[in-house]
Amino acid sequence: MASVNAQIKRGSAELAVLTLLAQHPLHGYEIAKQIEAQTGGALRFDMASLYPMLHRLERKNWVKAEWQTLPNGRRRRCYRLTASGRKQIAPLREQWRAFFQALQSVTGFQNA
Amino acid sequence: MPDWKQIVRKNLRVLGACSPEFTEELAAHLEDSYESLLREGLTAETAFRRTMRQIEGRRRDWLAIRFLQEALMTGFIPKVALPGLLTSAAACSLHWVLALGHIPPNVLWLVGGQLPLWWWCLLPICGALGALLSQRQGGSRLQRMAASLLPSAILCTLVLMIFVAGFTISGFVNHYQLVSVRLEALGIVPPGFGLIPAVFSLLGAGIAEVSTRKFRRLA
Repeated sequence: MASVNAQIKRGSAELAVLTLLAQHPLHGYEIAKQIEAQTGGALRFDMASLYPMLHRLERKNWVKAEWQTLPNGRRRRCYRLTASGRKQIAPLREQWRAFFQALQSVTGFQNA
Repeated sequence: MPDWKQIVRKNLRVLGACSPEFTEELAAHLEDSYESLLREGLTAETAFRRTMRQIEGRRRDWLAIRFLQEALMTGFIPKVALPGLLTSAAACSLHWVLALGHIPPNVLWLVGGQLPLWWWCLLPICGALGALLSQRQGGSRLQRMAASLLPSAILCTLVLMIFVAGFTISGFVNHYQLVSVRLEALGIVPPGFGLIPAVFSLLGAGIAEVSTRKFRRLA
C-alpha cells in the first residue's frame, strides 16, 4: 500500500487509536502493531509519535491508562476508552467523511 | 534478556526529569519489540540491534523532545503556570520593595548600564517558591524547574518585545544615536532581566529540591 503523507497520518491517528480502543483496552505496543497490521503498513507509529499522542488523549480524558500485571508477571500500561472518548469517535468519523467527500468532488477519486 | 529499563535510562537520561512512568512504558515497548523480532526468527544480536534503532540518533532526540513537551504540558496550569505566575508576582514585588525601601536595586555598573544586583541575590527565594508550589501540586522535576524559570522567561520575552518595538520606531525616525543606544542596551537588559535571573531562580529551585529531599529523609 502507498505510504501516507505525514500531515494526514497525524490527523487520522487519533481516530484510528480511538476506534481501536473502542473494541478493547490495549497497551502501546499492541496499539502500534494492530494499526500497522490493519492498514497494511500504511499507518505506522514510532514511539515518538505514539506515546505523546496517547498521553495527549489521556490529558483530554478521552482515554484512561492504568498499569496492569500480565500473566507473565510483566507490567504494561493499558489504555482504555472513556465515555468522553467514545463520544468523540462519531464527530471525528464525520469530519473525515466530509474530508474524503470534498476530496472526491475535486479529484474524481472513488473509494474502492 | 537485555535490561530495557536500564537501556532507556542510559539512552534517554532526560526522561529522569519527567515521570518515571515514561521510562517504564518505553522499556516495555522495547521489550515487546525485541521479543516480537525474536519470534520472527531473528538472532538475539540482530533483534537487539533493530530494537535499539528506535532509540538511537535523531529518533532518540525527537523522542526526548516529544516526551519533555508532554511532561511539561501534563497539568500545565496547576503545576507550571499558576506557581510560575505567583513566582513572577513575587519577583516583581521584590524589585518594587527594594526600590520603595530606598535600597538601590541597581548597584552594579557594566558597560554603561545598571544591573540589579540585590534583586538577583534575592531571586533564589522566588525560584524556590515556584518549585515548592509546583511540588505541592505534584509537579515533576521538569515542571518545578519550569515554574521557577517562568518569571525570567516572561521578563525576557517582554524585554525582547519592547526592543523589537523600539527598533521599529527607531527605524521610522531614522536616528542613528537612538539605534546605537538600543543596541548597547540589548547587550545588557536581556541578560540582566532574563538570563542571569534565570540562573539565580534555578539555584533557588535546586536548593528547594535538595532541602525537600533531606527533610523527607529525616522525616
